[in-house]
Amino acid sequence: MASRWMRLVLVLLIVLSLQTTLFTELRPFGVAAQVVLLMVVVAGSIFGVAIGALTGLIAGLMYDLILSTPVGLGSVALGLAGATAGLLIYFFNEPTWWMRSIAIAVVSSLGEIYYPLVQATVGLDGWLQLRLVKVVLVVAVCNLLLSPLAIVVCRWTLSERKTTL
Amino acid sequence: MVAAQSTRRRAIILLVLTAIILITLDLQNSSAISGLRSIFGTVFRPIEGTTRVVTRPVSNAWHGIFDYNNVLDENDRLREQVAQQEGATIAAAASVRLAQELLALNGLPTLAGINAVSAQVIGNSPTNFSQTVEINQGSESGIRVGMPVLNAAGLIGKITKVFTDRSIVMLITDPDFALSIKVVNAPRATTTTTTIARSNAAVPSPVVPVDPGSSSDSAVDTTTTTTTTTTIAGFTPTVTTLPAVPSGVSSITVPLVSELAVRETGVIEGRGPSRQPIVRFVDNSLRFGDIQVGVPIVTAGGSQSLSPPDIMVGKVARVVERLGSAGPILEIELVADLSNLSFLRVLLYQPITEKPAP
Repeated sequence: MASRWMRLVLVLLIVLSLQTTLFTELRPFGVAAQVVLLMVVVAGSIFGVAIGALTGLIAGLMYDLILSTPVGLGSVALGLAGATAGLLIYFFNEPTWWMRSIAIAVVSSLGEIYYPLVQATVGLDGWLQLRLVKVVLVVAVCNLLLSPLAIVVCRWTLSERKTTL
Repeated sequence: MVAAQSTRRRAIILLVLTAIILITLDLQNSSAISGLRSIFGTVFRPIEGTTRVVTRPVSNAWHGIFDYNNVLDENDRLREQVAQQEGATIAAAASVRLAQELLALNGLPTLAGINAVSAQVIGNSPTNFSQTVEINQGSESGIRVGMPVLNAAGLIGKITKVFTDRSIVMLITDPDFALSIKVVNAPRATTTTTTIARSNAAVPSPVVPVDPGSSSDSAVDTTTTTTTTTTIAGFTPTVTTLPAVPSGVSSITVPLVSELAVRETGVIEGRGPSRQPIVRFVDNSLRFGDIQVGVPIVTAGGSQSLSPPDIMVGKVARVVERLGSAGPILEIELVADLSNLSFLRVLLYQPITEKPAP
């Protein structure tokens, strides 16, 4: 049990470093793709609400520690995104790959909206503007394209392994 | 299975509560949170550095594919701009030096007397909801929270977080950014060229306003000494004595005090990357008159302001009038291009109110 969370933290460190370097540089239409959000959403869509929320809370906390916004905001926003992904996939009995991909894109959009909403609740408003539509669309498309890779990484990271004696 | 679910539920509740506590602590500038950030930064920086090196070819390829034409266009445009500005820069530099000498003579603060640290931008904000950049200088170089940051064009933001060897700069366009500024309104368009008309030395000569564009061929054998006296209520009269000119009509502009640039203070606020910053609280007084598009915006300075006075910020791009006694809102076109920052200058300036007591 402990090993998969330790694996998650290590993998998230790498994902976070990709977010702050590569994906900060490559900005299609001036918008940064959100791979940390992608990992959280994929975790939720594969492993359900609880794991999605936990992954979001941990990833958000790590993300917050490198941002200048108050620590804890990202935790709440990504935790909500992970839980939403788990809830959305709950309605499909056996989701096919494309259903999962669409769910990931949709929840990525929602997750990107959660962040300015949570910011607004602590008085950091000003981000809920028309530009959000473009941001949400670009993030959804980027996460849709990157989702096959993220699913593989997430399955490997969060799968429970039985120890053999 | 049930036990695992229960454990997870407890973990989620614990983490949510932790997040809320952390938000509360961080909003109150807790030193524990700063320490936590610092420790995480120490662990994370080597990983980030390695990833940056590994992914550099990918980002270079991306920029090569998508930005090549833009760079070419920008290069052409900048060459043209440089050619246009070369002459103006020399004149401006001379004016700035003169202004600084005058300020220094009068014991007024100037930017030349403030130490600065040069820094390189090493990263942008990874999120879409924060307008910040990271620079490679920190508290080791004397940087403190609140210090103003400039590039060659003008003000770009202020320091919001400082670590040992790096700092976070909040850009002017961030919605959380606010700074007091001055709007330097241009004088009204009335021309006040005072010209000494032809006269005989024995006859008192009237001072006649003349169209500046008119020819001076008709003026000969004149005595051209005159005194212009301007009296304004509550202001010491200014006396300007012009020297004698041997011949011809001289057209000398003597600006009246009422025609000098008038300044009003306001607060500049960011509105995100896609919208221009605005200035609020500009008093729409009669003295100030109508604000014209294109008038410069500079920092106001003062004991409460985080920035010294007279740093160029931008110019008025649009004036949005409001009903009633509310002053107008000004949309500002920044002089600095925030989309392409590489080298910055941090002014090691702290207002008197922020300086630690000796």
